[in-house]
Amino acid sequence: MTRIQGGLIDRNRPLSFRFDGRSYSGFEGDTLASALLANGVRLVGRSFKYHRPRGIFSAGSEEPNALVELREGARREPNTRATVVELYDGLVADSQNRIGSLEHDLLSVNDLFAPFFAAGFYYKTFMWPRAFWEKLYEPAIRRAAGLGSLSMLADPDAYDRGFQHPDLLVIGGGAAGLMAALTTGRAGASVLLADEDCRLGGRLLAEGGVIDDTPAADWVAGVVAELENLPNVRILTRTTVFGAYDHGVYGAVERVSDHLPEPGRKVRQTLWRISARHAILATGATERHIPFGDNDRPGIMLAGAMRAYVNRWAVTPQARAEDPVAIFTNNDDGHRTALALAARGVPLAGVIDTRSGVSSLGEYRTFAGATVTGTKGRKGLSAIELRHGGTSEWLNCGALGVSGGWNPNVHLASHHRGRPLWSDEKLAFVPDDNGPQGLLVAGAARGEGSTAEALADGARVALTALEALGISGTAPAIPVASEEPSAIEAFWHVPAKGRAWVDFQNDVTVKDIKLAHQENMRPVEHLKRWTTLGMATDQGKTANVTALAVMAELTGKTIPETGTTIFRPPYTPVSMGVLGGGDTGQRFRPRRLTPTHPWAEAQGAVFVEVGPWMRAQYFPRAGETHWRQTVDREARAVRASVGVCDVTTLGKIDVQGPDAGEFLNRIYANLMGTLKPGKVRYGLMLREDGIAYDDGTCACLAEGHYVVTTTTANAGLVYQRMEFARQCLWPELDVTLISTTDAWAQIAVAGPKSRELLSRIVDGFDMSNDAFPFMGCAELTVCGGLRARLFRISFSGELAYEIAVPARYGNALMERLMDTGKDLDVTAYGTEALGVLRIEKGHATANEINGQTTATMLGMDRMVSRKKDSIGAIMSRREGLSGDARRLVGFVPVDAGEPVVAGSHLVAPGDPVDMAHDQGWITSACYSPHVGSSIGLGYLVNGDSRLGQEFIAANPLEGQSVRVKAVSAHFVDPEGERLRD
Amino acid sequence: MTDLTPITALGDSVPRVHTAGGYTLRENADLALASLAVARGVAAPAPFGLGLPDAGGLAVGEGGRSAFWTAPDQWMIAAEGMAETDFAASLLAEVPGGRVTEQTDGWTAFEIASEDAAQIESLLERLVNLPAAATAPGRATRTGLEHMSVFVLRRTDSHVTIIGMRTLAASLWHALETAVDRLGGTQ
Repeated sequence: MTRIQGGLIDRNRPLSFRFDGRSYSGFEGDTLASALLANGVRLVGRSFKYHRPRGIFSAGSEEPNALVELREGARREPNTRATVVELYDGLVADSQNRIGSLEHDLLSVNDLFAPFFAAGFYYKTFMWPRAFWEKLYEPAIRRAAGLGSLSMLADPDAYDRGFQHPDLLVIGGGAAGLMAALTTGRAGASVLLADEDCRLGGRLLAEGGVIDDTPAADWVAGVVAELENLPNVRILTRTTVFGAYDHGVYGAVERVSDHLPEPGRKVRQTLWRISARHAILATGATERHIPFGDNDRPGIMLAGAMRAYVNRWAVTPQARAEDPVAIFTNNDDGHRTALALAARGVPLAGVIDTRSGVSSLGEYRTFAGATVTGTKGRKGLSAIELRHGGTSEWLNCGALGVSGGWNPNVHLASHHRGRPLWSDEKLAFVPDDNGPQGLLVAGAARGEGSTAEALADGARVALTALEALGISGTAPAIPVASEEPSAIEAFWHVPAKGRAWVDFQNDVTVKDIKLAHQENMRPVEHLKRWTTLGMATDQGKTANVTALAVMAELTGKTIPETGTTIFRPPYTPVSMGVLGGGDTGQRFRPRRLTPTHPWAEAQGAVFVEVGPWMRAQYFPRAGETHWRQTVDREARAVRASVGVCDVTTLGKIDVQGPDAGEFLNRIYANLMGTLKPGKVRYGLMLREDGIAYDDGTCACLAEGHYVVTTTTANAGLVYQRMEFARQCLWPELDVTLISTTDAWAQIAVAGPKSRELLSRIVDGFDMSNDAFPFMGCAELTVCGGLRARLFRISFSGELAYEIAVPARYGNALMERLMDTGKDLDVTAYGTEALGVLRIEKGHATANEINGQTTATMLGMDRMVSRKKDSIGAIMSRREGLSGDARRLVGFVPVDAGEPVVAGSHLVAPGDPVDMAHDQGWITSACYSPHVGSSIGLGYLVNGDSRLGQEFIAANPLEGQSVRVKAVSAHFVDPEGERLRD
Repeated sequence: MTDLTPITALGDSVPRVHTAGGYTLRENADLALASLAVARGVAAPAPFGLGLPDAGGLAVGEGGRSAFWTAPDQWMIAAEGMAETDFAASLLAEVPGGRVTEQTDGWTAFEIASEDAAQIESLLERLVNLPAAATAPGRATRTGLEHMSVFVLRRTDSHVTIIGMRTLAASLWHALETAVDRLGGTQ
């Protein structure tokens, strides 16, 4: 046990937890990492490639080593950083990336083969033989890749999302962030303060210093209390702002319940989309290490982290309290850790400082101008080799703190390709002003890293932000913080014969960087990909700058000449669950239900997704064992008597205004402005490039009042394009467009007995052919006074109507039609029979109008009126389109027992099946109960003059080859007599 | 009067009500809606005495009638308890020559109430990506909610109406019910 007195843990709340099956105890306020250290556990994981034993390296979200599988069962989450896991009672964690126990990982054999796994290993090794890649290499690599493993069970938790619109977002609640929030909050700005930690304070909690003569933690508590009392300030702890996006939008994840054993009634996490007028980045800095030989042993950690464990969590880093601790540093900050340790009575082996002539800041030994050149201790540090004054010696020590200086956390400032600038003075990349618009950087995040600097800078930057917001603010009194020595001298790595790790998580060493240099992978982006440096889940937070420095040394360039890596969101890993919002299964996306959905459900309909719609596909009856039986019955019933089908999904656009006719003339390829009240006309719409894109009917209800019907799939698109034309192309036309798709339930009533059926529900409306002929429309009432619209149009080729009533009555109307028409054998039919009926009639739909076809191909070239202009008309006449010789025709199999398969390509018998001999393709196919065989529609080169010829419909994907004969596309009533009857 | 029996947007015979921790979520099947448009440059009429609002505005008049802006020269006129009537015809009678389109069943209205205005604000920030000014009392805004297009009408501090497409009613209800349950603490 290495627990000491003090700290910000609650010793009245002991907690028990398990790691790798063993029980331990900790306190409220501990992280899993601090609790493991308190229990003397140093070995917590295995490295990615070499399976080297690894320990806790940091005290924050930058952790590269201490990754565990947290929780059990479906909630198991791999690659969880022990340094940010808040301890709770009953916590269960396991080490990962091992075979066998953590102590005796069988895969540590990889370490013996390290020379073979150098940088670029994959690229060099798996090049040949080529055929091995798919069968052998890729599966093997995939199995070995990654660290932890997934539970393979569905995520049981709920996730939420939300939106915030503050004047100012303050990212980070350390010294600078608190001062920024305080300054802007007092000025009345709406402020959102977000911090990834469970409590505000940032490094102030880790330093244990004094501010305004009070302990830093108390000063923090006072500021937090004031902020909580400001109604215009909102604080989100456990919230990581992970990305800066366009237009001042920031993404943040609030870990609502991750500190609890289970979320219970709460959501696990919330995704916040924050639209901030301005933001202040006060994310502090991350300490970097100094690579030296065998620098990856458990017990070696960042010196600043060591200080945090001592001050905040009251834990010392060695396994046994009596083991001495050493510090290896190139700066004064390392000495501050020594002072903190000494103050708690931790035995110190000394401070090894690369700088010559430095002396101790307290009662401990300093080795000036010295380096650490090696270590011992397979599963935990036992000794370090010290090179000092030309001689080497071994020092026993149980832990080593390493400090190579601090890297400002510039990540979010780089998210819009903002390039940080190198500061020779600070020996660090600091943000330039080329980051996301409206984002200011304060405190250690821009190199103003001492407590005093950060406090002052937070207030100063806050005033700048207030000025930009147009809010007047007052400079606050800057709290007095003690002076912190911070001198530093560049020192990037200790040359070593053995391996010196730079990126711990991806096992990238100084040697790997040297090899990348040798192999000419010198630009930073090449270095990154060749070695995988910075590509692990920690994104190289503790490694990138050091790697740049090593590469700079090798190339003889300066660090800024060598470059910098681009940081991209997310700042730390974000679960897919929270990004997805937690909507799964049926709730994955919104579903549109037709007005007759309850009735169809009661009939046992089988539904099919049609875009967002759920449509009844067919209505099985008792005794029908195959969908084809049902569909054949439904299709036959329509041709023999009468069928009803909900067609509400077709788009309906109300068009009104004195210029409505002219507007429609320009929208449709054919003349529409001449349509008289009480009439319906089929219409074809072209894209600007002349390709056909939608068809449907247009009904004229009254002078200057039309209803445009679109296909289901294009309802939104057509409405959008019509609005675009109205607002942007022809604003001079006085016309109004309103979508009424949802407002009206529309039911197709089709078949020779449709007139008789409808006659039974209309209120005194003359349904005779003379009074209401084909392509007529009327507003009328049905069922005792309900307003309705009736259209005499036909998709099936039969005598048919579509009747529309206010949507709330759609279900009742369907029930009424089914009830009233029992003696007529009225039959409900779904989309499948609808498809059969229209293919039999040769009506085109989305399969035929697929964005690649022209009016000419559809046999509708004469519909593109030359009497007026319309969208796409001129372009449709260009040679490439008007000269297309393919025409829509029908197909039947030569052998009636053979299927016609949609998507098959047509070739002449005897020709090779390749695109050079392609004659067209089958667009739609079905079994036709009317014809008694499979039938199809398709485009055939010169199809209209080749009826009767035979072709091969080839479907090489499924090895099918069917002899088919080209026939008229109209399998039913080619003269069109039935629908006019 | 027709002998057909209507159903609500959620497919029931009576409107659905759900309560959770201070929230009341209620399907309003009685709200009649009709859109009104006038030619560009024509002065806004005053149907039923309503002063038709500018962009983002919600006007409340006598007899449960209200109006909100939907586009330039275009408004939605709403009337409580009139859904079973031909409200579009009534509106047209008020504005002869106006372009009126029946909208009652194009939409579904869900009323959310809480005595605590802060509860309404907490809910809105979970539902819609709008700044507080756009959801202040007296404001009406069209926006996205869970990938669905809706109008958010903040009638009072303690009352907001979400109007969404009728065919999406079940999905919208689910989204609202989930949100009030989470914030109301019953889930």
